[in-house]
Amino acid sequence: MLTRVYDNLIVQTVCRVMIPFIQIYALYVIAHGHYSPGGGFQGGVILTAALALIFLAYGQEPAARRMNRRQASMLCAAGVAIYAGIGLYCLLAGGNFLDYSMLAPLLHVSVPRARSLGILGVEVGVGLAVMTAMYSIILDIAGNHEDESDSDPESCSTPKPGSIS
Amino acid sequence: MKSFFLNIDIFLCLLIFCCLYRALRGPTVFDRMIAVGAIGTKTLIILVLIGFIFGRVDMFIDISIVYALLNFLGTLAAAKYFEGKGEF
Repeated sequence: MLTRVYDNLIVQTVCRVMIPFIQIYALYVIAHGHYSPGGGFQGGVILTAALALIFLAYGQEPAARRMNRRQASMLCAAGVAIYAGIGLYCLLAGGNFLDYSMLAPLLHVSVPRARSLGILGVEVGVGLAVMTAMYSIILDIAGNHEDESDSDPESCSTPKPGSIS
Repeated sequence: MKSFFLNIDIFLCLLIFCCLYRALRGPTVFDRMIAVGAIGTKTLIILVLIGFIFGRVDMFIDISIVYALLNFLGTLAAAKYFEGKGEF
């Protein structure tokens, strides 16, 4: 009994200390993509690494409690919507698709600053989409699929015969 | 100062080849995992020293931090896999 509690103690303690710093570093990488190596995709992958550390150290249940499959899918769509929404707004405001100078009258800033903020916005959208997509991949590959009771509609109300554990 | 860092880089590369021997010849898989971890640590230091040589150390520190994280995560994932599957 005691070995079950203590077998992961070192890994769990180290992960508990490291995960907030990893997430802050991922936000730094997303925000400084124009100046140092980084950007949306790289920061998103580092955010996935933070979630994957919870998955590796504590098991699937605490990781799924923080973000399960449905939330990951919705946040992935939200990230893509941020990217497409900024581009679409620039298109509807009279410019080309992703022409960030059209954001300048909306945000009341000068045109170069509007371009910089527009790029930051799409990087945030890309980071969110990448993090949730790769987390879904990790859950599909390495997780056990006991919580997929809503995959077909007629089995929603009746429990599956082998899933009591 | 640059030639000093360059000499350290070359010496660390030779040490990486020594670690490669253990990675290739390790009888168990844990030998290989530890060797890859040591190679990762040396690569980290080589990256930062190359950053000093080029003069732009702030960029190379970003890459080294990411590589340290990947090293740690890879060792952890491999250890978790071998805990579940048994020793090879």
